[in-house]
Amino acid sequence: MNTILNEKKEFPMLEAVNLTKKYEDGLLALDNVNFKVHQGEIYAMLGGNGAGKTTTINIFLNLIEPTSGETKINGIVTHVQPLEAKKYVSFVSENVMLYPEFTALQNLDFFTRLGGKTNLTKDDYRQVLLRVGLQEDAHNKKLKGFSKGMRQKSGIAIAILKNSPTILLDEPTSGLDPKAGLEFMTLLDELRDEGKSILMSTHDIFRAKEIANTIGIMNNGKLVMQRSKAELENADLEKLYVEYMAGYMEEVA
Amino acid sequence: MLSLLIKKELKEIIGSSKFVYSFAVSALLILITFYVGAKNYQINKSQYDAAVAENIRSMSGVTDWRMINHKIFLPPLPLASLVSGISNDVGRNIGMQGRGELIAKDSKYNEEPIFAVFRFLDLNFLFQIILSLFAILFCYNAINGEKERGTLRLVFSNAIPRDTFILGKVLGSTIALILPLLVPMLVGFLLLLVLGVPMSFEDWMKLFLIIVTGFLLFSVFINLSVFVSIITKNSSTSFLLLLVTWIFFVLVIPKTSVLIAGRAVNVPLIDELNTKKNQFSMQLNREHFNSLSGFRPANKDNFMQEFQQFMEKNNQARDEKTKSFNEKLNRERINRQEVQQAVALNLARISPSASFSLAASSFAGTSLNLVSNYREQADNYQKQFAKFQQEKTGMTTGGGGMMFVIRTDGDKKPPEINPAELPKFEFKPATFSAALGSGLIDIGLLVVFNIIFFAAAYLRFLKFDLR
Repeated sequence: MNTILNEKKEFPMLEAVNLTKKYEDGLLALDNVNFKVHQGEIYAMLGGNGAGKTTTINIFLNLIEPTSGETKINGIVTHVQPLEAKKYVSFVSENVMLYPEFTALQNLDFFTRLGGKTNLTKDDYRQVLLRVGLQEDAHNKKLKGFSKGMRQKSGIAIAILKNSPTILLDEPTSGLDPKAGLEFMTLLDELRDEGKSILMSTHDIFRAKEIANTIGIMNNGKLVMQRSKAELENADLEKLYVEYMAGYMEEVA
Repeated sequence: MLSLLIKKELKEIIGSSKFVYSFAVSALLILITFYVGAKNYQINKSQYDAAVAENIRSMSGVTDWRMINHKIFLPPLPLASLVSGISNDVGRNIGMQGRGELIAKDSKYNEEPIFAVFRFLDLNFLFQIILSLFAILFCYNAINGEKERGTLRLVFSNAIPRDTFILGKVLGSTIALILPLLVPMLVGFLLLLVLGVPMSFEDWMKLFLIIVTGFLLFSVFINLSVFVSIITKNSSTSFLLLLVTWIFFVLVIPKTSVLIAGRAVNVPLIDELNTKKNQFSMQLNREHFNSLSGFRPANKDNFMQEFQQFMEKNNQARDEKTKSFNEKLNRERINRQEVQQAVALNLARISPSASFSLAASSFAGTSLNLVSNYREQADNYQKQFAKFQQEKTGMTTGGGGMMFVIRTDGDKKPPEINPAELPKFEFKPATFSAALGSGLIDIGLLVVFNIIFFAAAYLRFLKFDLR
């Protein structure tokens, strides 16, 4: 997998193609969504609750199947070859809940082995935990006593240790205090510099504008706006967001 | 991958404080079960020895084998202390006579009714009640709990096949919960040795089978819990549903089965039978007395001898009629009882808990077969005893008839009988192969229950909503 990061990929590492999801109760959760995340890029999906952000991530992880269209990780269609595709992705959820009876080190050991990394040592785990800002005295403590920030740090540590070329983040800074949120963003910046492709769903307009290469706004299952950082340089993203969410504008088919 | 998932389950379960407390309670109860079982055996054995000695002592000074008040006793079985089954409800002694119907009296619960109120702590109680709840307690949220915590999404963001995950979950939980419990079980085995319970090789084999069957029941509840945790959305619902299922399996189904069988198959009451027997016996006695008037000795000098022969002949004829009549009534009742039992047991086997209970009591020799086994061996002994009495006195006692004894040896005291000459009654419990044969169907059912619940969990998890 490291070779993937060493070579510049021409094709997108994460891609949604005509992605549509209609649930059995008739709810149209995603309506023909298209976007691409290239190597070394962060794509931020903005949108309110029920906009379709988490559904998109769930389809990437093959937790649900699309009604039509597809998602690709490293060019692999996720619902066709889910096990192969998942070798190239890490995931950090909104509220990272690891095994509460395990210590941070035990959780890291289990999830990195599950991710296919079997040759890592406790020192490797400790270094990554320190890198994400989890103090050493917490490494051997059970997760059930961890704050949300500490659990998020453990979650991102797992993603780093898996060392996959793509990372999916489902509202990762939600509920974090400003300091922890800032540390998290710094870490994402570093991971992008290492060549990771990151797809992040978030409510946080300001952090999204600050860190993302591309921002997409989703509303009622549709990707209603998609602009690059350069395109948003002089724009008022908050105003745009409100307008798009109110349904005044729609620019992405 | 599978071994990683199994190890994770092991670590997660054994490392939890819930496990520490539950295991401590279970281990303590297991040790108490073995200790109390061994102690009960010792008490029952000393009571048995005392009763046998008293039986012999009661014959001291007796000079006529027809005058003895002989009893045979059901010896305590080592495994009956660990799986009591119906052993405490069976009469432990039978007044022995050369002829007539044998009735077992003085069951443990009859003599010490307080034990009948709450019954004994034994392996049946332990597996049926405690350990099945132990399994539910640890597996009721096996899958929906992971979903609620959010760990399921994280796990399946990796390249994990669903079948490997569910297999790891079930195997890991089973190993994590069963392996630690083997330790107090082994200590319990040692307790039996230390406290001097005379376990034969066959007894050890039977005990091994009881434990294996118990863990089969245990894994039924693990598989069931995992299945329920898949089909329910949240863990509180699955816990409630499992508790209701547990109540049905452990309490409702077995008791209802007996109730239904009781209604479906009518078995005459023992009192009805006794009334009929008494009426018939009284009728025969009247005929017997009437026949006395027809006695005419051929030789008046030999009156007593001829009278005794006449009485013996009449007694025999009456006994044969009584025996035939009683046997017919008993047989009819037993046949009805067997049909009733078959209906009750087969209905009860819908419940895995009942299957375990039946298998365990079969292996311990305390199932319903104990009654027929004891009765059969007592009947065989009665034949030996009758033959012995016949040899010693020229006649047999019992059957409700009268006996006239006229001594012709003047004041000379006849020699005392020697009780050691009596044939010995040695109760033989069911052999290992016989016990295995009777418990095999229930072991098979427990295996089937495991397969059904595991297959159901496996198939449902393949379609499980992992979000």
